[in-house]
Amino acid sequence: MIEQLLKKQVHKSQLLFFALSSSLGLAILLIVVQLFIDTQSIFNSKNDLLGNQNLIIYKDLGRDNAFTASEIETLNAQDFINKTGSFTHGTYRVLASVTFPNHAGISTEMFLEAVSDQFIDITNKDWKWKPGDKEVPIIIPKNYINLYNFGYAASSGLPQVNEKIIRQVPIDLTLTGTHYTQNYRAYILDASEKINSILVPESFLNYTNSKLSPNKEHKVSRIILDVINPSDPKLLEFLASKKYNYLSNDIQNSKLSYVLKLILSIVLGIGLLITILSIYLVITNINLLILKNKQTITQLHFLGYSKTQIAKVYHAIAYKILAISIVVALLLSIICKFIFSPYLSVLQVEHTLTSILYLIILSLFIFIGLALYYRKHTNSKIQQMISPNTSLLTTEN
Amino acid sequence: MQITIQSIIPEYFTPNSSEVWSKNFEFQPNSKYLVKAVSGSGKSSLFNFIYGLNNRFSGTILFNNTAIASLAESDWTTIRKEKISIVFQGLRLFPELTALENIQLKNVLTHHKSETDILKMMSQLDVDQLANKKAETLSYGQQQRVAIVRALCQPFKVLLLDEPFSHIDQAQITNAIKLVNQEVENNKATLIIASLGDTYNINYTKTLLL
Repeated sequence: MIEQLLKKQVHKSQLLFFALSSSLGLAILLIVVQLFIDTQSIFNSKNDLLGNQNLIIYKDLGRDNAFTASEIETLNAQDFINKTGSFTHGTYRVLASVTFPNHAGISTEMFLEAVSDQFIDITNKDWKWKPGDKEVPIIIPKNYINLYNFGYAASSGLPQVNEKIIRQVPIDLTLTGTHYTQNYRAYILDASEKINSILVPESFLNYTNSKLSPNKEHKVSRIILDVINPSDPKLLEFLASKKYNYLSNDIQNSKLSYVLKLILSIVLGIGLLITILSIYLVITNINLLILKNKQTITQLHFLGYSKTQIAKVYHAIAYKILAISIVVALLLSIICKFIFSPYLSVLQVEHTLTSILYLIILSLFIFIGLALYYRKHTNSKIQQMISPNTSLLTTEN
Repeated sequence: MQITIQSIIPEYFTPNSSEVWSKNFEFQPNSKYLVKAVSGSGKSSLFNFIYGLNNRFSGTILFNNTAIASLAESDWTTIRKEKISIVFQGLRLFPELTALENIQLKNVLTHHKSETDILKMMSQLDVDQLANKKAETLSYGQQQRVAIVRALCQPFKVLLLDEPFSHIDQAQITNAIKLVNQEVENNKATLIIASLGDTYNINYTKTLLL
């Protein structure tokens, strides 16, 4: 009966409208949060695309373009550089030959380099070498495979290969140093999009350098930097002052990542704004309802109904609006996830349901938070209505 | 329940000198009082002060030695359910509810009477046939009788009636007083009636001129 009295000014369609309008803001909020979670892997530093937090630097070409130990120390001392990794190169000549069945063998002169494993974008249990191992794993740049497939193989009639098949191709390495010559069997373990060099495990390079050319000192001609933000002006200024060169492509990626994050943040801001406005709208509506029913509320209170009993009716209305808007927002964001997924897969984002779980948890928190807020607000509003002297009854003399 | 009045005076108007304003006196348990005054002298204000609807007065009101200024909202809720019942001058029925629903609204809170009891009381005041009619369709006199029945649907130690019989004919007044007296007796309560002049043939402990 008390509900019937307190809800007499409530129009269901109106409430539904408020619920839906507030679900719009919440949906934008949830969708952006979901996008943030889903695209986290591409912002992650392990990813090549946008998470490229590495920068390879080198000096101008010339006779003495190696980095000294003190220069490396200075680099390490900068607070915008997390760590540095030196490229070491083989101090011997390398001749690689490949024999394809039914084809004449091909051979080429090449070089070998090594860099600390933590800078390599490939994790593979076979990426290791120790003296006595029969085969040496090699990582080549991905564009070498393309060059081979679409350039060399196409024109010379050799078979095209992909990264899996290429592993099966045996490579014979002849390493000629100042003192000795050695032969090794090698295979291409993988192709890297990040490091533009022919890499072998550091242990192999150190071993062969010391074995084949024991008297030659090895120089560091390139350094890979692990930085917080490759497009950080402080970093670029520092590199310019030292006359160190870098590939601008690395910086482009970082800028792209920054712009993407910025766009997501702006959308998040808009979502927040709409949500706050819609919360305000719901609050105003609840105020209006309470005001419309002021007389009923005060009369019920003076009959002996407690504030809690009266407020409960309005709490239920607020919770219903909130529940509807959150459920609608959640559904909208889940639908959007499936709409977005083909586009995100272009960015190498894996399709997982983790973000939905996070969204549900987030929605629960939003529900509890807003429910408590609405509850507090409703209570204080009703308190105003029923406090002494505000009553319509006191107008009687 | 004893109500002690200690020199209270409204802050929002200056009343004429009377036996109530600025005086010290008690409403004793188990007694009957008539507060007699012309309109505009503050009868409803006095009732509102006692019922906790208005606290814009100077002076002190005590319920069994507890100053009402110290009562919390929850205390008032309990008092209005168990200690003090009132028939407002303006009745304050809900027009969209039926007569019976208006009464039940109080009774579901207190569970003091059965529906049969309520209908019996309504029939004593000759409004039982109006039980299912909306309050807004009833005459003011009929509404007054419904409001009286509603006020009796709770345990009380004090019953405040603010000009309760102003629109009721003499025969019904007699019935109403009989019912009120009976309930006051059952509850061993204090009855305080405000009236413009009529005494309604009740044997008052004291009449206060306001």
